[in-house]
Order: sequence, then C-alpha cells, then structure tokens
Amino acid sequence: MEEQNGQLEQTLANIQKLVDNVETVIRGKRMQIQYVLTALLAKGHILMEDNPGTGKTVMAKTLAKSIASEKGGEASFKRIQFTPDLLPMDLIGSHIFDDVKKEFVFKKGPLFCNLLLADEINRASPKVQSALLECMAEHQITMGETTYPLEKLFFTIATQNPVEMEGTYPLPAAQLDRFFIKIYFGYVDEETELNIYKDYLGIQNNLDNIKQVLSMKEILFLQDQTERVFIHDEIIAGVRNIVRDTRKHADIVLGASTRSGITFLKCLKAFALVNGRTFVTEDDLNQLTSAVLDHRLIYRNKEAKQKALASILAKELDRLSRLKITTNANTYGQSPL
Amino acid sequence: MRIGKVHSWKKVLAQLILLVLPTVLFFFYLLWDLNRFYTILENEWIRQGCYFMAGIVITTVFYAYRFRFITTAALLFLIYYGIYKYVGSISIGEFDAFYLSVQFIIFTFLFSLGWLTGFGFSRSKYFTIFWSVLLLVTQIIVVSKTTDIKVNVLISAFAPVLAYSFYIIYTAELIRNMNDDETRFGWFIIKRITGFLLVLLVMFLVIFNIFKNDFKAIEKEWGNAQAKYDKGDSKGENMNQKDKDGNMSNKDQTKLSGSLSKDKQLVFVAKLDNYFDDGKTPNPLYFTSCFYTKFDTLTQTFERDSLMPYNDLYEPDPSRIPLYFAKWDSTVIKNTFATKNRKIITADIYKVMLAPSKYLAPSTAFFCQPMSVPKEYKEQYKSTYRAKMWVSDLNSAYFIYNPAGNKMLEQFQQLRFNKLREVKKIKGPDKKFMDYYTFMPNNEDYKKITQLAKQITANAPTPIDKMIAIRDYFLSKDDFKQPLFKYSDNPGIPGMPSANKLTYFLFENRKGYCAYFAGATLFMLRSLGIPSRVAAGYLTVDRSSKNPGWYWFYANQAHAWTQVYFQGYGWIDFDTTVPDMNTHQATQPDGTPPTNMPQTYLVADGEVQEVDETKKQIKMTVEKLLYHDKDYVTSKAKEMTIDVSIATITADTGAVKLSSIKKGIHITAVSFSEALKNILADKKDSLASILTKLPVPVPIDEIKVMSKEQLKKLKKKNNEQQSAPIDWIKVGWIVMLIVTALVILLFMCPWIIWQYLNIKAKRINASKAYNSYRASLYYLNQLGYSRDSKGPQEYAYLMDLKFNTNFNAFSNVYQKVKYSSVPLSEAEEKLMNDFYKPFIKQVRSKTKLKTRFSKFLNIYNTIHYFTQPKIN
Repeated sequence: MEEQNGQLEQTLANIQKLVDNVETVIRGKRMQIQYVLTALLAKGHILMEDNPGTGKTVMAKTLAKSIASEKGGEASFKRIQFTPDLLPMDLIGSHIFDDVKKEFVFKKGPLFCNLLLADEINRASPKVQSALLECMAEHQITMGETTYPLEKLFFTIATQNPVEMEGTYPLPAAQLDRFFIKIYFGYVDEETELNIYKDYLGIQNNLDNIKQVLSMKEILFLQDQTERVFIHDEIIAGVRNIVRDTRKHADIVLGASTRSGITFLKCLKAFALVNGRTFVTEDDLNQLTSAVLDHRLIYRNKEAKQKALASILAKELDRLSRLKITTNANTYGQSPL
Repeated sequence: MRIGKVHSWKKVLAQLILLVLPTVLFFFYLLWDLNRFYTILENEWIRQGCYFMAGIVITTVFYAYRFRFITTAALLFLIYYGIYKYVGSISIGEFDAFYLSVQFIIFTFLFSLGWLTGFGFSRSKYFTIFWSVLLLVTQIIVVSKTTDIKVNVLISAFAPVLAYSFYIIYTAELIRNMNDDETRFGWFIIKRITGFLLVLLVMFLVIFNIFKNDFKAIEKEWGNAQAKYDKGDSKGENMNQKDKDGNMSNKDQTKLSGSLSKDKQLVFVAKLDNYFDDGKTPNPLYFTSCFYTKFDTLTQTFERDSLMPYNDLYEPDPSRIPLYFAKWDSTVIKNTFATKNRKIITADIYKVMLAPSKYLAPSTAFFCQPMSVPKEYKEQYKSTYRAKMWVSDLNSAYFIYNPAGNKMLEQFQQLRFNKLREVKKIKGPDKKFMDYYTFMPNNEDYKKITQLAKQITANAPTPIDKMIAIRDYFLSKDDFKQPLFKYSDNPGIPGMPSANKLTYFLFENRKGYCAYFAGATLFMLRSLGIPSRVAAGYLTVDRSSKNPGWYWFYANQAHAWTQVYFQGYGWIDFDTTVPDMNTHQATQPDGTPPTNMPQTYLVADGEVQEVDETKKQIKMTVEKLLYHDKDYVTSKAKEMTIDVSIATITADTGAVKLSSIKKGIHITAVSFSEALKNILADKKDSLASILTKLPVPVPIDEIKVMSKEQLKKLKKKNNEQQSAPIDWIKVGWIVMLIVTALVILLFMCPWIIWQYLNIKAKRINASKAYNSYRASLYYLNQLGYSRDSKGPQEYAYLMDLKFNTNFNAFSNVYQKVKYSSVPLSEAEEKLMNDFYKPFIKQVRSKTKLKTRFSKFLNIYNTIHYFTQPKIN
C-alpha cells in the first residue's frame, strides 16, 4: 500500500509533467489537455469539435510522442483521415492471400494502435463511423471467426468539423454517447497567438524533440487508480441532481441517461487525478459538467443550449457550496487513497 | 399554439390560497369599513368585494400563463369600453343612466384593481411592497377623514392593514423563491407560514402584555359602545344609555327616529339652591349633560363635537375625585362670555341610577366635590357630589309652560324678556364662534326651514322676540282650534326613507318628541343668524311644595332643548317642546330628601400601609388633608393611624368589607367625629403639625376606596387632559423616529450579519474552515464580488488577482476538508487556521473605506448572497 502510494505520487507528478510537455507544443490549451488526459485515464475516448487548424492533430501527435511504449520507443500512433469514400476495411484491416502459406492472413488495419486520431470523423459515411465506434466500445475486432483484441491501451481522439459545415454526416446521439468527453478546441487568445507566430519554428522543434515523460505502464496504473479516487456522497448526490435536472428541464428534449451519470463519475475521478488530487471537489464538477454532458443532450433551441445546463450546474454548485461538511467519515467501501 | 406557463399549478394554487384568499378577505373588511364612511358605495360591500375577487382570481390564474400585460390590459379596456357603450344605449332616463354609470365605474375600478393585484402577485417582484404602501395610505386618508380619533379607531384601522402587509410581503417572497420541483412543496410552505404566524403571534402577545392595562381600558370602552348600539337598535331611539352595570347617562348622540322609548326609573335626585328674587320660590333649571353642536344631515343625528369652540362644558368624573376634595375648572366660566346677571349657585346631586362617573349639573357648572351619602340613605343613593354653577338670573325652566295663575312667574318672564330685548342684534365674541353656531346645511330642505323662520318672525324686532315667536308658532292652533304641533313619542317616519325628518316634522307631520322640537328650533334660529345649540340632559320639574329646592329626576325626563347665546348674558335655555297632551303622566311620588348632612371635620387622602383587622385599625399615609374645611397638601406623605371600627367602607361598586382593603390601596377617610370638633387648626399649621394634634387612632366614619388601577387611570387621564388635543407633531415625530429606526436597522442588516459571521469565523473549532470560507464569501459578496455560477477555484483565482491574497490556496484546503477523506497535513492545517484574519485585512486595505461603507449599505447584495439560484 505504502509503496503503491509512493508510486501514485510519482505518477501524479508525471501527469503534471505530461501536461507541461504537451503545452510546450500546444500553447494556451491547458484546460483541453487536461480534458484529453481525463478521457484517457477514465478509459474513454474524446471528441474534439472545431474548425480546421486549431491544433487538434498536433495535440494528438504530441500526446502519443510523450508516452513511452513498453517495447521502448513511443506509443504507437495512427492517424486516419476520414473521407466519404472510406470503408470499414480501411480501418479494421483485411484478409490477404499469402502466396507462400497459401492461405488468407489477416492484415491488421490502423485500429491496432495505442493512440488513434480519427480526423474529421463526421465526413465518413455512417457505416464507417459505426465500425469505429463498435471497436471503441468493445475493445476488440471480430473478423470472420477470429477475434482480435485491440491494444491494452487504446485511446481514440476523434475530431469533427462543426456540423453546420458542408459534406458532413452528423453523428447520432447514441454514438456521441460513446465519447466520454466532447470539447471545443477554440482559438487561443491574442497574446498567445502572437507568441505562437513569433516562435513557430521553436514549436516545430519542440514537437520533433519531444521527451517521453510517462510510460504506458504508468498510464495503465493510473487507469486502475482512477477507480479508487475518493468521491464524497454529496458529490455523487450532486451528479444525480444534475442528471435528473436535465431530464426535467423544459428546454431539454432528451436528458442525460444513467450511463451518462456513471461516465460522469468516472470522468470526475479521472479529472481529480489529472489535477493531482485524490478526491473530487466542486471544481471538478464545475469544469466537467458541460464537457461530459453537453453532447449527450438534445436541446429545444440554440438559446437553451447556452443556458440550460449552466443554470442547472449553477444551482447544484450553490447547493454544494452552502453545505457544511465537517466530518469526512463516509466511503462506499472504497479503500481510501 | 401552445402557451407556456410561468408558474406550475402548485405555485398557482399556493398563490390562490396563501395570497389571494387573505387579500380578498382583507378587501372585504376594507370595503365594509369604507362603506361606513362613503355613501356612494351604498352598503353593498359584499357585491363590491366580489368584483374585486373576480378580478384577482381570474388574473392570478390567467397570468400564470405567458401572457403579455399590456396587450391583455388593452383588450380588457376595450371590453370595458364596449360594455360602457352598451350600458349607455340600454339605460333609459337620466337617473337610470347615472345610477348605472356610477355602478359601472365602481365595478370597473374594483375589477381593475383586482386585475392589477392579481398580475402583481403573479409576476411582479416588488408589487407586494407597493400594494402594502397603497393600502396604508388609503387607511391614513380614511382615518384622517374621521373626526373623532380614538385609540380603537386607530387600532381597527391600522392593525389589520399592518398585519396583512407583513403577511403578504413575507408570503409572496416565500412563494416566489420556492422551487416548485421540491418534492415537499406544500409541507415546506406550511412550515414556513406556521413559523411566521407564530412569530407574529408572539409579537402581538408581547405587545399585548406590555400594554395590557391600556387594552383593558379600550376593551371596556368597546364593551360600553356595544351596549349602546344594542340599546339604540332594539327599541328605536332612547335618550338615555345604560352601561353594563345598569347605570344611566345621556347618550353622546341623538338620532331623529320614528319612535322614542322611555321608562320610569328614578335616575337621580338633586337639591338646587336657586330661587327667584323673593328668596322662597324655587327656580328650577334644566340639568345639562352635554351639547349637541353638530348635526349629521345624512343620518339625521345630533352629535357632540369635541372641537366645539369655546368649550364651556365641564365634565369631571366624580368617581375619580377623592371624597370631599374639590376639583374645578374656571376656563368654562371664561368661555361663557357672560358678565351680566350671573351668580354662583350650588347643587347637590344624589345618584340613584346615574353612572358613578357621570357629572350632571345646570348649565355652566365648573366645580365638583364628591361627598359621602349620609349613613341612613346609603342604600337609597349610590353616591353624591356637590356642583357649583355660574348661572344666569334670567335662566329658568319656565318658558314654554304657561305660568298661568302665578303672578310672580309672569312678572319674571316679562322682566326677563325685557332685559333680553336690550340685545338688538346678537354679536358673538368672534367670527369663528358665529360661524360655528349659525352653521346650516346648504340644501333645499333647510332653505324651506329658513323661509318658515323668516315668515314666523317677520314682526319680531329683536332676537328674543324671534325666539318667542318661534315658541308661539309651536304653541299655535290651527283652523279647527286644535294645537298645530303635538307631542308624540312615536311621530312615525316620512314615506321616503332618506327624506329630511325635520322638514317632515315642520311641514307635514307636526308630531314629534323633544329632539324634533329642539332641532327645528335650532335651525330656525340659526337661519336667522342667532347662535344656538341643542343641549341634552334632564328636564327639571318642580312637583314638590313640601321640599322646595329638591327635584326628582326619572328616566323619562331625559330631554333635549335649545340654548341661545346673548352677548353679555351668555347661553340661556329655551325649551320649545310642547307639553304632552295625550298622556297625562302620573306625577311621580317624590321621596324624602336626604337631610342631616353631617359636618365633616377631617378628610384624609392617601395609601394604606397596614391593615389590622382584629383591632380594626388602618395605618395610612396622608398626602392630602382637609381639616375643618381647609386644604393641606404635602409632598412628603405622613403616616396616620385610623380607627375604622364604625366606619362604612364603600367603593364605586357599593359597600365592601374591611378585609378587601390591602396595602397600597388608595383610600379617602372621612371623619364626622365630635372628638375632632374642638381641635382647631392654627394659621401656621401644616399637614404634619395637624396630624400630631389628632388623637391616635383617629376615629373615622367613612372610607371610600379607590383602587390602584383607578388611580393610575386617573393620573393618566390627567396627563392626557394636559395634552388634550392630540399633539400631531409629536405623534409625527414618534412615527418618524420609529420608521427611521426601522430603516436604519434594515440598512444595518448586512453589517450585523457580517459581524455574526465574522465572530464565528474567528473562533477556532471543528468548523473553522467552513466558517472562514463562509465569512470570506459573504464579505466579498457584500463588496460586490459575488460568486454567482463560478466554481470555487475560478472564483478564488479571480479574487486573488484582485486583492493579491492566497484565497485560492485556502479554497483548495477547504475543498479538501470538505470532500476528502485524507486528513490535512500540518502546513495545510496552519494555512486553514491562519488564513482568515490576514485575508480580510488585505481585502480591506485594497478597498476604500467609502466604497466599503456604501457597499455594506446595499441590502440587495445581502439578499443576493442568500438567494438560491433557480433553474431556467
């Protein structure tokens, strides 16, 4: 236990290093980096939505380069550019006739990697989309009679263009649900942008020479530790309240499901770890609610999209902030970290 | 189209039950109250209340949906206009149209008011405050229109409004802030409101306890008033009123009504030392109780007016004056403006049914001295007092009665008229006086009276001749040699309910009782510019030749007559009521007068110190002493022991036992003892030195008990009398002070809450982190940096940027304390404990004192802090 705790502290420090590392390349996006890591630690996947050229791909690339694989070298990173004519086989791989052995052998597709960047996922046909999402959920690929497991660490960063743009197949709500977190990348602020322009060579250099700060093993260890992050009953109640309020709200047509609630809890714990904490706080709730829930809800109109969830969250935050908790003797049978 | 809802049905229901229902009930009360004052409402408060109710209920439900106010109000206005046009087209005749349009205006007004109120309750945040202020102002206006402001009027006017206002503001706020998705909405509301009502109840109980005595006095007053109404309603009109002990006195008002009821109980007996010039023929004088100087034309009622100019009515309460101690008021003499033919005479009044507190005497009494009833008459007479009057030689009960046969009386009448004929034209002391006493209502009926008066008095040159002419008119006979005017206790009422009863009496019916004759005479005189008023009291009848100067007064002698002012001579009684021809009243058998009034030697007034029931002795302090008719007063009370073995002890209620006398009770001891006869007082003697001369114990024959409560009341009454007309400036100041104090308290609220949180935060205990965090949050919020929907970290980060503090670090520790299961490290513990004071200091140093001060006056910040955000 002691040893494990020591290891935990070390890895928590490494996570901070990882964040800092990525930030040398992706400037002014600390929050987004944290979200990505949260999805990673929660054993989920992340969806990024924004206009081209905001640094989504670079982000994924940097992350992959920062993680050392077990065999030495960096984690395997694959990138697929989704286009309307892409076929599921292009992702999964296909059987190819081996002339020597006189038999069909399975040629693995790009899905067999640690870190997958699915670029512009909404430009591919629904068939391809669902194939990818199946793999993400099942963590394995079944081809004919054989089942091929994916890598132990399999993390997808999907990007999509804003739905309003032409030539896109919007992801259905059920599929969006597979992504733990959806974030908007957004443009950086004035000052940071100026810095980027001044130093774009340096940034390119940083990307090429990025250090590997976290091993695959450590990531797997952290993924295990996530489940043991302490979460107070009142925070759990807060999650429940928020989820239930989304179902009751007049301007929300489709509220959050129970599965979303569980995902939310997982993300909260992971987010706490990313922030170097072993317990979940109001802040985590504040910062994650929109990222985790927003893409799962269907709103009546645009105005509601901006206001509804925020007001639900504000009410819950207010409730929590007024709570007077002096004893912390409650656990769900979890061993405290 | 689907119309969205503003409130859930739960909220609407809560509004209907908790806001609308009390408002409607209150409005019924208000309308009922207003109906008493405003004839235009025509006593239809139930219907009018329903208009209001309809308006408010409809809108409360209506505006629970998302309707716009302006469009709907415009629509309503259009509907009104349509109805108005329609009503205009169907009504026939001017009267009809007028009536309908008045009714329609009332309907429109009340319905719109209900409409607005409903809208306000449903939608507006600040409406309840505006509404309460509006109601208060309405009540202030109504009260300001009331002429006699008494405590009970003020209480009945303001207590309901205030209670309602508190309630409505509180409840409206409560309902508005409710989250109706709360599962136990109803229970929550019930809990809050019960709590509120309890607080209100406790407040009222505390107030009631503090002012218990005052309330009791008011209660008593109300009790009497109730009795008065009961009497008035049950049996037509009655000139007397009975209080709850069965005591009688004249009423404060006399209504002209269809019938007068009388009974024949003995009310009091009086000895009046007023004789004609021959010195032996008694000259009876009417006993005045009060003056009716006002006439309410609407209800046809004569009323007293406390604001009568040059008040010459002396109204002491004989039961509140210690035995044998005199009380007088010389201003009433001054206010008569009489210099000619006046003298002072004495009257002794022995009360039988007359209320102990009532003071009756012939006109312009100024003196009252309660005396003890001689022992043998104690059962017959309840109490007695001596009155002194500033009486005119020319005054007499004989005016209407034909003094046929009695030469002396005839001569007196002539002499009297001749004297008064010297007054050619009546001039009052000033214009105000004349205006007041010659005031006539301006209306067709009174013009008719004026015409009649002018016609009757056409040949009369002087005021007294006019007076005689009016008398003669009432006594004149018609063409059939029958008396033109007849006395009747049941004159009947004119066919039209609201017709003028006086003109009916003068021109058609010509039957009536004293109030009709007095009233008719009054207006005839006033129309001629002769200042006059109606006096109420008792008619004095000289029936006894046996006991000259003694008069017996029965209940049916209650009377009203006219008084006329002659400059120099003052007010003189003139009774124009014709004798009752039909019922020859059996002359009441007059009894034997109480005589042998013993000589009093000593009267001592003071408090009981000690009672020895076995020896029948009382030790008392003496504050005031009357010895051989000389008055002694001391500021330092002296002790005296008295022997009460033969004394009769009485209170207002009758005889009491010695055992009921307790320490601290105020008594008056009277001695008729011969033993004191020869102990004379020197000129130099003071109260103390007289007491040393007296035998111990002093033999006492009579003790009058005055209870402590009574004494307190007496003192209070004296105080009140000193500030007789309510000092409105003072009242204004007090109200202003209270309001200012409340406002200051309101503005200090944020600061007081802050102090509370601050003190809690400075303590080191288990909830130190919570208290520090809460206090910091409150302080920042009050300074205008509210947390709103920011997360703790974000907020703390912003505050740190602003004030250069370590709030963020503390906030993190606090979050750890709150949500983590890991104990704090030493450094964190230290940070937690040492955070608060330097933080507040730092924030303070970064904010100007002026800013802090003004921010702390802002109660909205405080409210904002405590309001929970709502989902929208």
